[in-house]
Amino acid sequence: MSIISVKEVYKRYQLGRENFVHALRGATMQVEKGEMLAIMGPSGSGKSTVMHLMGCLDRPDRGEVWLADRRVDTLPHGELTGIRGKEVGFIFQGFNLIPTLTAVENVALAAEYAGASRGKARERAEDVLKEVSLADRMGHKPGELSGGQQQRVAIARALINEPSVVLGDEPTGDLDTESSREIIGLMKSINERQGTTFVLVTHNPEIGDACHRTVLMLDGAVSEG
Amino acid sequence: MRAIRNIFRRKLRATLTIGGIAIGVLALVVMGAIAEKMTLLVNGGTEYFSDKVTVSESPAHSMAALPMSIDRVAEMEAVDGVNVASAGCTLLLDEDGGASFGMPAMLIGYDLRARDLESFEVTFADGRDLEPGDQGKAVIGSDLVKKLGVEKAGDTIEVRGRTFEVVGIMEATLTAPDTTVLVNLPDAQEIFYDGLPEFVQSMVTQDEVITDLTIYPDEGVDPDQLADRLEAQFDDIDAIGPEKFEEQIGSIADIFNYIVYGVAMVSLVVGGLSVINTMTMSVYERTREIGIRKALGASDWRIIRQFLTESAWIGLIGGIIGLALGSLMTAGGNNAIEQSGTAIFLLTPRLAIGSLAFAVVLGVLSGLYPAWHAARMNPVEALRYE
Ligand SMILES: Nc1ncnc2c1ncn2[C@@H]1O[C@H](COP(=O)(O)OP(=O)(O)OP(=O)(O)O)[C@@H](O)[C@H]1O
Ligand SMILES: [Mg+2]
Repeated sequence: MSIISVKEVYKRYQLGRENFVHALRGATMQVEKGEMLAIMGPSGSGKSTVMHLMGCLDRPDRGEVWLADRRVDTLPHGELTGIRGKEVGFIFQGFNLIPTLTAVENVALAAEYAGASRGKARERAEDVLKEVSLADRMGHKPGELSGGQQQRVAIARALINEPSVVLGDEPTGDLDTESSREIIGLMKSINERQGTTFVLVTHNPEIGDACHRTVLMLDGAVSEG
Repeated sequence: MRAIRNIFRRKLRATLTIGGIAIGVLALVVMGAIAEKMTLLVNGGTEYFSDKVTVSESPAHSMAALPMSIDRVAEMEAVDGVNVASAGCTLLLDEDGGASFGMPAMLIGYDLRARDLESFEVTFADGRDLEPGDQGKAVIGSDLVKKLGVEKAGDTIEVRGRTFEVVGIMEATLTAPDTTVLVNLPDAQEIFYDGLPEFVQSMVTQDEVITDLTIYPDEGVDPDQLADRLEAQFDDIDAIGPEKFEEQIGSIADIFNYIVYGVAMVSLVVGGLSVINTMTMSVYERTREIGIRKALGASDWRIIRQFLTESAWIGLIGGIIGLALGSLMTAGGNNAIEQSGTAIFLLTPRLAIGSLAFAVVLGVLSGLYPAWHAARMNPVEALRYE
């Protein structure tokens, strides 16, 4: 069963008065439940854009986006916000965390946005941080953590609401090889243990290797996969 | 507090903004404290004058520039509707007027003939009221205790070159009596007479000179109408009833209130612009953070609330500092002035609470646009922002 289905989506951005960038031109792809999928391709090929559509951060100009069994591209603004909070987790490249909040506060924030009380959110955040082996770094601010540790906090935050899908945009983009491998290993083990679906936009071939499947994008469409 | 952590991310900027608000609130508190004092004074006066008419020699008509004569008492009491015309002799407590702001302290001698008709209640913190025949004795207002160096009834004071025994200290009324020394009419007349130019002295006697009359109307007689009738009948006097008093004195209080509103408006604009500027910069700098928060499922309302909380805190902290400085300044000011005259500041609870509320509302209002701007951001564009 597909957990995400993107059908013939188009997205363009207006640059000048008459100038458009066609970020997506009829991209179609499916993500299966429990799968770990890599989206690769050259810079500007529309990888991030398609991931944003999957995560309900944006709507396509044309085409359909389905999440689980629900068509989401036609949903109103407020509902998209709710889906982002509860059903999807995000990991971005670098500067992922809110600098004034500690690790545990950063993680708890996502639970608070999903409606948990501050106390409950904190409790759960502590549990998830333990799962990513950061029990001893809970009170640290992002600036006091290494790049790899920061990304682990981001993973914990993406997982706190137990979403069906975690979307990552260059999750290892700012990391050295060693930390990068550690993060890939962590995501893989979460995928194996909990069955969480991962969709990872990346230039890193090691992520491609770790994933079950790779989709290759070119000029706003899927060229292979 | 997360909001406070965010505010002090940019320490200098936060400090400057909060300082701006603090100065606005300080100005508001200080001006407001003067207005509050003024209002109470006026209210007290309005109450005192609500049932009587004050008569003085009209400066426009008294060609001879002679002081009022005590003969006026009989003249006035002959008028229909006048119950008692009580003679008074009102002088400045300090001959040179003293170097005080606000209400100058007064020395008032009166004939005590209308004491039973007086509706304005004065109670005594120590001692007793003045009695007829209390020659050389005085009752003093609560604000003058320090200035005159009095500790208790029975002490003596030196005013206008004469020594008086203090028989009573009045409880604070928050209005004119607080800054008044009351004596029997002859004592005040003596001082008044001595201060007159020689050629005037040669034309009058000491026991006839007075400065004003307080007219107590008969029961059921409207004091304003009585004042009009008196002025119509005697064209060389000014008769001031409650309405005219309010008109004259009320307008002074109004001016102070306008100044307070003016200060409030100026600090609203200056402080508000500064908060808008700070919050707008903060939103701009935190664009990516806003994108991340939105990706995590923060609703627009959550984002608005976050930034409004921050701007409200900026307002509140500024307000607290401004209020603290303001209460120091008004207390210090009163202390310094009390040596020479009377308190001019009155920091009332409603002024304190009002100033804080004002600062918070200012913060919230100024945060509205930046917060709305943040909430409206497109998450994808916010995330692309580096
Ligand atoms: N908000 C935007 N405004 C204008 N152009 C945009 C915007 N977002 C994306 N684009 C353009 O759309 C195209 C696709 O962008 P996208 O970010 O999806 O590429 P990508 O495959 O993720 O590239 P990269 O590997 O560099 O991250 C690019 O040409 C980009 O410049
Ligand atoms: Mg990208």
